[in-house]
Amino acid sequence: MRRSAGRDTRAAVLFLGPLFLFLGLFILLPVVGTIATSLYRDISFVDREFILFDNYLRLLGDDSFWRSVRFTLFFIVCSVPLELAIGLGLALFLNQPMPGRWFFRAAILIPWAIPAAISARAWQLIYNFHYGLANYLIVVSGLSESPVNWLGSSLGAFIALVAADAWKTAPFVAIIFLAGLQAIPDELHEQGRIDRASFFQRFRNITFPLLRPVLVVALLFRTIDGLRVFDLIYVLTGGGPAGSTNSLSLLGYRYFLAGDFGHGAAVSVALFVISLVLSIAYARMARFGGISY
Amino acid sequence: MSEEKIKAALVFLTAVFAIVFCLGPFIYMTVVSLSSEPDFLSGQGSFAASLDNYRIILTVESLHFLDFLRNSMVISLVTAFVTVFIAGLAAYAVTRIPLRGKSIILIVVVAISMFPQISLVSYLFRLMTSLGWLNTYQGLILPYIAWALPLSVWILASYFSQIPVDLDNAARVDGCTRWQALHKIILPVAAPGLFSTLILVFIFCFNEFLFALMLTSDHQARTIPVGIALFQGMHGEIPWGTIMAASIVTTMPIVIITIIFQRRIITGLTHGAIKG
Repeated sequence: MRRSAGRDTRAAVLFLGPLFLFLGLFILLPVVGTIATSLYRDISFVDREFILFDNYLRLLGDDSFWRSVRFTLFFIVCSVPLELAIGLGLALFLNQPMPGRWFFRAAILIPWAIPAAISARAWQLIYNFHYGLANYLIVVSGLSESPVNWLGSSLGAFIALVAADAWKTAPFVAIIFLAGLQAIPDELHEQGRIDRASFFQRFRNITFPLLRPVLVVALLFRTIDGLRVFDLIYVLTGGGPAGSTNSLSLLGYRYFLAGDFGHGAAVSVALFVISLVLSIAYARMARFGGISY
Repeated sequence: MSEEKIKAALVFLTAVFAIVFCLGPFIYMTVVSLSSEPDFLSGQGSFAASLDNYRIILTVESLHFLDFLRNSMVISLVTAFVTVFIAGLAAYAVTRIPLRGKSIILIVVVAISMFPQISLVSYLFRLMTSLGWLNTYQGLILPYIAWALPLSVWILASYFSQIPVDLDNAARVDGCTRWQALHKIILPVAAPGLFSTLILVFIFCFNEFLFALMLTSDHQARTIPVGIALFQGMHGEIPWGTIMAASIVTTMPIVIITIIFQRRIITGLTHGAIKG
């Protein structure tokens, strides 16, 4: 027995070694390095100096940091519910027996599969003031007499980003919801039909409560992902106009680009802390709601 | 009866919405890429079909479109294979080898995936600079592997845990080592799961942006999302037609993979997100 346990340990080390080597070298070490850097004045061509929490204190007094926090939080508050709603609609639709289901399933996966940087370029053209698709549709359909200045106004840019993000990520939410829907036993719906519950009653009383655990998962994934949004904004608005759409990731990137590594690191740590707090809040919410994993 | 009709109408409306919503931007990209001028929707312009944009990206070497595309393909493919190999070993250990604190391993792996990419880039940039690996394939592949591992381990552990342990116990009684049990017994049974993970990691790396933006500087290693994002015209005006042509050529392989392997992708994503 002892020999076999020893062999098990050796096998485990061999099998798990590469995993922890990679995670250690390219994730944990960088994270520790970033946390350490956030405690230094670390600017290119200037002597490094240990300043403890000075970078953080300066962030707290920095308007552009708070604007960035407000934008990032507001971005997830608007985009995540929209994505969940569209994703749920698509999932309910995909769960129907119908001809050509494989075609719809593939069509819905396409926005998810295209690189965000590339679809952001397409959205940039769609929102073009002079000849973009968005303004063409708005003017032709009579919703507005004059074209909308999407990317040139802060509200327009915000709406543009939320719409483009919803397009990109609703498919992922739909896939998660679809799995949840398929796990609901048919007998429950059958029983509901026998009890003469209407389609909407069945949705409210059977489908929706059983989807709640999946909903929490989708919410968590989308929130964490939305908080760190980078590529879509980098390409579509570049953080503009006038810095109104600078997400926290973009703000951190700008500091790094300017050679101010200490400040950039402090922004990264702040972003991580915000994600952690929200994740814990969701986990608690899920437990209070009586959901167990 | 009427309830059935309402439902049928709802399904039809959602079908129309799904097609317009999901494919609309993609179709618009295609149309612009085939037009000689991008302004055909304004009052002045008109649509004239032309393949010029495709000719430009495929033949004008200074654009480096094909270089970017090759970089992306090589980097994503190598990453996907190495990641699945390492994640497969780890997932086998987590699901098969009796260990103390096994559940902690999976929790640690998930916790690690919580760190935002932005908190890694500055350190990786300095690391790759000191190794002289900035703007090289390995400078991007190594961080990609680490970045793709948590999800892959999670997906594969979920797949492996569905394979009966008796299978490899029997093999072990017959004198197989752990390694033999893994590649003779588990591997064939788990092949669909490994393949799903391979496709997912490929797509994730193909789409990755921030690492590629920070760690590459020109066509030697720059990947296609960054290439297209930074694509500038020679005369100040944004060359929409060429950008859209490049986007279509780039996304075509991804779209085809998605259509062919949709089931594999969906089960992979589901295992990663829920079953775990």
